[in-house]
Amino acid sequence: MKAREYWSKVSPVALLTIVVAVAVSILTAVDANTREQIIAQEQQKINRLIGEMFPEMSRSEADGDLYAVYAGDDLIGYAFIAVGKGYGGDINILVGLEDEETIKGITIISHSETPGLGTRVAESPFIDQFVGIGISDVALTDDGGRVDAITGSTISSEAVVDAVSAAAMEKVSQLQGSE
Amino acid sequence: MARFGKEFAKGLIISNPVFVLALGLCPTLAVSTSIDNALGMTLAVLIVLFGANILIAAIRRFVPNITRIPIFIVIIATLVTVVNLIFQARLPDLHESLGIFLPLIVVNCIILGRAEAFASKQPIFYSIADALGITVGFMIALLMISFIRQILGTGNLTVFGHDFGNVPVLGENPVAMFILPPGAFLIIGLLLGLFRRTGVMKGE
Repeated sequence: MKAREYWSKVSPVALLTIVVAVAVSILTAVDANTREQIIAQEQQKINRLIGEMFPEMSRSEADGDLYAVYAGDDLIGYAFIAVGKGYGGDINILVGLEDEETIKGITIISHSETPGLGTRVAESPFIDQFVGIGISDVALTDDGGRVDAITGSTISSEAVVDAVSAAAMEKVSQLQGSE
Repeated sequence: MARFGKEFAKGLIISNPVFVLALGLCPTLAVSTSIDNALGMTLAVLIVLFGANILIAAIRRFVPNITRIPIFIVIIATLVTVVNLIFQARLPDLHESLGIFLPLIVVNCIILGRAEAFASKQPIFYSIADALGITVGFMIALLMISFIRQILGTGNLTVFGHDFGNVPVLGENPVAMFILPPGAFLIIGLLLGLFRRTGVMKGE
């Protein structure tokens, strides 16, 4: 193979490699510079949502993924994030606990359910059902619990209920274990 | 300089990306629910298209034909990811309302279309004019569509927190359909028909 022919085969690959290398270094630099801010933004958002759930909250303390909520010096509850497998992807749910047996409330942080059907799990009549019920009652009515599924969105409803129930049980046993 | 003006002006009406070239309709349909979203999307597209046109015009002499598309895509994807990360860090509310359509600018035909049709053949100076013109054209289209959708769909005009008040009748009974995807199709179709009919814009 002549040198020129050889070069005409190699040069496109060489240029592409250079472009990719430059792109990777730029992205690494930008990522390193924004990562902390992005994490701080998410933290702020979670804190704001916890504050909405516990209006009397004065501060929250994070211990791993479990947040202890205080009003002054009094411990008034816990909050944590549960992840459910919904119809369209992960559903991230912020769960508040009043004490080790009772749910304070839930808030859907993000989801990708079907608009108009599954999205109703993030809205008022559905999430209001969780307020003040016992952890053992977190199940659909058909399964002996106290949460009514949304018609046409059984998968989304089930995903939320299962995720809240499983995460709540886990966190409570973690809390009891640490006492 | 005259040519700079010409390359800029063509993006506004005679090559309007949405109404004439019919490019980037997917994000247009999705983010034209409010004027805030329309302007946020325009800002993102401006940064990406401006950067992509300059970079691609700058390296156009060295880019071999067979690896042209992968090189363009890598450049565009890098710019989009940078914009995405910066928006996420600095403008979290806007980032959330644009959602998946911000990262999807990578596959927005407006960007790759301009790279292929213009920046890969023209000097940097005119590529800048092209990028600015096309972005302003995109913004005009998005603003028209989102203005109509926001007024009809919510009965209210609020831009970046400034409340310009409710529209009579619609304020109490907004037609929510116009905020949903079918409303976007209707409004784009009607505007497109209107512009063709009156001869303001012609199809390609």
